[in-house]
Amino acid sequence: MHLQASLQWKPREVRQQTMTNEVLLCLTVFIPTLGALTLPILGGLSTKLRNFIAFGLVAAALIGSLSLLPAVLKGQTVTWQSMQLAGLGISLQADALAVFMAIVSSLVSAIIVAYSSSYVSHYTHQNEYYLMVVLFLGAMMGLVFAANLILLYVFWEITAIASWRLIGFFREKSYVAKADKAFLVTAFGALSMLLGFVVIYAQTGSFDLARIKGTALPDLAVVLIMLGILSKSATLPFHTWLPDAGVAPSPVTALLHAAVLVKIGVYVFARLFIVTFTYGADWHTVFMVLAAVSALVSAGAALIDTDLKRIIAYSTVSQIAFIFLGFAAGNEIGVAGALLYILMHGVAKGGLFLCAGIVEQKTHTKDIRQMGGLVKTMPITAVSFLLCSLSVMGVPPFGGFFSKYMVISGAVQSDHLWLAATFVFGAVLTILYLFRAFNQVFLGTPLGQTPREGSPIMVGSVALLAAMSLLSGLIIQPSAQFAYTAVRQMLGVVAK
Amino acid sequence: MNGMLLLPIVLPFLAGAAALLLGRRAGALGGPLAVVATAINLVVAIVLFRQGGEVTFVAPWATLGMEFSLRAYQFSNFIVLAAAGFGLLVSLYCVKFMCDRKHANQFYCYMLISLALVNGAVLANNLIAMLFFWEGLLGALFGIIAIGRPGAWKTATKAFVIVGISDLCMMLGIALTYHLAGTLTISKINLPLGGLGAVAMILMMIGAISKAGSMPFHSWIPDAALDAPLPFMAILPASLEKLLGIYFLARISLDMFQLSAESWISPLMMIIGAVTILLAVMMALVQKDYKRLLSYHAISQVGYMILGIGTCLPIGIVGGLFHMINHAMYKSCLFLTGGSVEKQAGTTDLAKLGGLARKMPITFGCFIVAAASISGVPPFNGFFSKELVYDAALERGILFYVAALLGSFFTAASFLKLGHAAFLDKGRNENAGVTEAPRSMLIPMVVIAALCVVFGVWNGLPLHNFIQPALAGSHFGQLNAHEIGDYSGMHGSRVLLIMTALSLLGALANHLWGAKVSGSGLGAADHIHHAPSLSWAYDRAAQRQFDPYDLVLKLLAVVSNILWRLDRANDWIYDRFTVGLTMTLSRGVRLAHGGNYAMYVLWAILAAAAVLVFLVKS
Repeated sequence: MHLQASLQWKPREVRQQTMTNEVLLCLTVFIPTLGALTLPILGGLSTKLRNFIAFGLVAAALIGSLSLLPAVLKGQTVTWQSMQLAGLGISLQADALAVFMAIVSSLVSAIIVAYSSSYVSHYTHQNEYYLMVVLFLGAMMGLVFAANLILLYVFWEITAIASWRLIGFFREKSYVAKADKAFLVTAFGALSMLLGFVVIYAQTGSFDLARIKGTALPDLAVVLIMLGILSKSATLPFHTWLPDAGVAPSPVTALLHAAVLVKIGVYVFARLFIVTFTYGADWHTVFMVLAAVSALVSAGAALIDTDLKRIIAYSTVSQIAFIFLGFAAGNEIGVAGALLYILMHGVAKGGLFLCAGIVEQKTHTKDIRQMGGLVKTMPITAVSFLLCSLSVMGVPPFGGFFSKYMVISGAVQSDHLWLAATFVFGAVLTILYLFRAFNQVFLGTPLGQTPREGSPIMVGSVALLAAMSLLSGLIIQPSAQFAYTAVRQMLGVVAK
Repeated sequence: MNGMLLLPIVLPFLAGAAALLLGRRAGALGGPLAVVATAINLVVAIVLFRQGGEVTFVAPWATLGMEFSLRAYQFSNFIVLAAAGFGLLVSLYCVKFMCDRKHANQFYCYMLISLALVNGAVLANNLIAMLFFWEGLLGALFGIIAIGRPGAWKTATKAFVIVGISDLCMMLGIALTYHLAGTLTISKINLPLGGLGAVAMILMMIGAISKAGSMPFHSWIPDAALDAPLPFMAILPASLEKLLGIYFLARISLDMFQLSAESWISPLMMIIGAVTILLAVMMALVQKDYKRLLSYHAISQVGYMILGIGTCLPIGIVGGLFHMINHAMYKSCLFLTGGSVEKQAGTTDLAKLGGLARKMPITFGCFIVAAASISGVPPFNGFFSKELVYDAALERGILFYVAALLGSFFTAASFLKLGHAAFLDKGRNENAGVTEAPRSMLIPMVVIAALCVVFGVWNGLPLHNFIQPALAGSHFGQLNAHEIGDYSGMHGSRVLLIMTALSLLGALANHLWGAKVSGSGLGAADHIHHAPSLSWAYDRAAQRQFDPYDLVLKLLAVVSNILWRLDRANDWIYDRFTVGLTMTLSRGVRLAHGGNYAMYVLWAILAAAAVLVFLVKS
C-alpha cells in the first residue's frame, strides 16, 4: 500500500523500473510453479525436450532472482499484490534476504537438475520426478518471496508433498515408509507452525508480514513456530527423517538435504524471528543450546554410521546447527555468517551428495566398508569430494572458512564462549567424519571393483560445485558484501 | 609500491599452480620452474627487507572487520627473507632429488603454495587474513604427505587432524580477541591478560606452538619423516613451519597481549618448552632411522624457543628467536644430508648404513657442522642462541635450566650416535658403490652449513640486523627500552660456559663408553634405552601408547558412540514408540467398533445420556 502511494510521486523511469521489478518477481515465482505442471505432458512428447524445459524453468528462476539483485542491493524492497478475493490474495515481497536465499536455492538446483538428466535417465516415473523437482523449487521461490504467513504455509506444505513423492521415488516398501516418516514429521511441525500463526492472528488480526512487523510474540507462538522450523530443518530432536531420506535418488537428497529443503526452516527462522517479530531474550540461549546438542549428536552419529549418504545427511544436520547458531546469536557477524553458511554449505554439500550419487551408481552400494581406493579410477569425483569436504570443514581458502568463522565469532560476540567452544568441538568432529568417509571410499585398499568414472555431465556437475566452493572462498568479497547488505537491512541498521 | 607486498604471495602461488599443470613433465621441468620462482621471490624479499620501514597494503574484503591488510615491517620482512632463502635452497636441492619421482608436479605445487601461504600469514596484519593463509596450509600439508610412499595418506590425515584441531582453537581465540579488542587489525591489538584475555592468548598459543611442532601436537612429524618426500621435512617442519609458528608466538607474546613474567602463562610456556625438550630428545636418542631421529629433534628444539620466549625476559626472547633461525638452518641442513644419504645409499635405516664418511665427504662435512650447531658446540650458531636461553632459564628457575642443559646432553649424545652409525661405523657391502651426491644437492647443504658458521662466529650480524630490531617495536621495547641490551658476542657467565662444556664432554664420554660396551656406534645409546625404568617407558612409547593423537581418537570414538546411541534412542521414538502408541490406541478404538449391534446401542444410549446431563446442567 505504502509503495503504491509513493509510486505516484516518482518520475516515469523510476516507476517503470519498479514495475519491471514487480513483473520479474512474479515471473520468478510463477514460471517454475506453473511451468512444472507442463512437464508430464511434455514428457509424453519427448524426454529430451522435457529435461531441457525443466532445466530452463529452474534457470528462469535463477535469472529472475539475479535480476532482482540490483534493486535489493540498493536497499529497496520489491512488493507485489494480486487482487484480493474475500480478504485473501497472493502478496510477494523481495528484500535482500529473500533474494539471497532465492539465488542460492535456484543456483544449486539448476546444477542438480542438469545432473539429474543423466542420473535418472534409466529409471521409471521420470515425468513425476521432474514435475516434483521443479514444483519443489517453484514452491521454494514462493516461500522465500511470500509476504504473508498463510501463503508461506501453503508453499511450505507444497515442498513437503513434493519431497514426500521424491523420497519414495524408488517405490520399495521400506523406502515409501521412510518417505512417509519424513512427511509425517515435517507435516506435524507445519501444523504446529500453523497453530502458531493462528495465535499471532488472534493477537494482531493480520497475517501480513509487513503489518505485523515488530509484534512481541507470546512464548506459546514461539514454541509452536519453532516446532515447525526445527522439524523442517532437521534439527534435534526432529532430525532422524533426514538420514532416513537418503533412500531417495542422489540428486534428490542433494536438493532436499543440502541445497533447499533443510534451509527452509532456517530461512523462516531468519524471516520471522529476526526480521519480523521480537520475543523473549532467553530464547536466544535456548535456540543456541538446542543447536549445540544437535550439532554434536549428529556429528557423533556421522562418525559411526557406515552408509555414505547417511553420513553426509548427518553432517547436514550438524552443519544446519551452525546456521542456527549464527541466526540465534542475532548480531551482525553471526547473521551474516549464517547467510554465507547457507550459500557455502548448499554448494559444498550439494557437491558431496552428487559425488555420493556417482559412487553409488558405479559401485552399487552405499556401504563405505565395501569401498576403497576409488581415487585411481574416479579421480575427478574423488578430488571434487575432497574439495567439497574441505569447504564443509571450513578450511581456507574455501568458502566454508569464512562462514564458519563468522558464526563462531557471532556466538562469542553474544557472550556465549562455551557454546562457541562446543561448536568448535563440532567442527573437529566434522573434520574427522569427513576424512573417515573420504579415506574409506577413495583411498585405502581397492576391494576388487574397478568402477569407471561417471558420465561427463555428472562429473562435470560435481567438478563445477567443487570449483564453486573454492572460488567462493578465493573471491569472498561479492557474497560477503551481499550478505552484509542483507544483514543491515534485516537488523534495521539502515532505514529502508 | 605497496602492491609489491602481494608479490611474495602471488608469485609462488602462481608458480605452484603452473607446476600442477606440468603433469608428468614436472619431473624434469618442475625443478627449474621452482628454482626460478623462488629466486625471484628471494629478490623480492631482499628488496622488501632493504627498503625497511613500514609498508602496508589494505584492500576491502569480507566486511565486518575482516579486511585484507598486509604489513611489512622489520620482523615480518626478516621472516619472509629467511623463508625465501630456504625456499630457494630446497628447490635447488629438489631438482635432482625429485626428478624421477611420481607426483613431482603435485610436490612442487604444494611446496610453492606453502611458501606463498607462509609469506601471506607472516605479512598479514588482520587476524582473519592471517588465519586464511595459516589454516590454508592444511590442504597443502595433506597433499604433500599423501603423495609420499604408499599408505602415507594415514599420516597425512593424522597431520591434517592434529594441525586442524589447533587451527580451530586459534579460530576461537581470534573470535574472542575480536570480541575483547573490537578489532582484527593485529597492529592495533594490545590486550591485558586478565580473565578472557588469558583464554584468548592460550587459544592462539595452541595454534602457534602446534604449527611449530611442539608437544603435544607433535606426533605426526616422526611419522611424516618416514612417509613424506624428504625435501618436505627440510622445508616445512624443519624451517618454514618453525619460522611461522615461533614468529606468531612472538607476536602474540610481545605485541598482541601484555605478557609479562608475572603472568601464569609465562611458567606454563616454560613448562611446555622444558617438557618438549626432554621428552622429544629422549625419543630421538633411541631411534634407529636417520630421518626419524632428526624429526624428534625438530620437536625437541622447539622447546628451546618456547622456553626462551616463555621466560618473558629480553635475553630469553632474543635467544628464542635467534634459536628459531638457527634451528631452521641446521635442521634443514641435517634433513638435506639425510636426503643425500637416502638418494645415494637407498636407505635411511641406520643398521644398514655405515662407512659413508669416505664416500660422501662433503655430505659428512656438512653433517658435522650442522650436528655441532644443534648440539651447541662453540663457535657454531646453536651454541650462542642456546647460551642466551640458558641464561634466561636460570634466572627464572634452576629446574628450567637443568632441563635445558640435560636436553643438550642428550642432543649431543644422539648426534654422536647418528654420525658414528651412519658415517663412521664399518660399512656393509651393499654400500660399497655409494658415491657423493650430485652438485645441485650439495650446494644447498654447503651454503646452509657455511651460514651456520657465519651466524655463530659473527653472531652480531644476525642479532643486530634481524633479531634485536624485531623486539624494539614490542611492548618490551616500549616499556623497558633500557633492558634490551646487545646480546652479541660471548654472552653469559663463566659458570654457564663451564656447565655447557661439561655437558658436552659428558655426552662424548657417555658415547665412547656406550660404543665400547655395545661394539658399534649404533648401539651407543643402548645402555640408556635399556636402563631399568626407562626401558618400560620406551617399550610403551614404541607401541604408540603415548601418542596424544591415538589417545584423543580413542576418547572421541567413545564419545561418538554415546552420541550415536542418543541418536538411535531419538530415532526409536519415531520408528517404534510413536508407531506402537498409535497402534495401541487404534486397537482400543477398534475394539469399540467391533460390529456388535448391542455394543453400538450401548454407545448410543451413553451418548444420549451425556447430552442429557450436559443440557440439564447448563
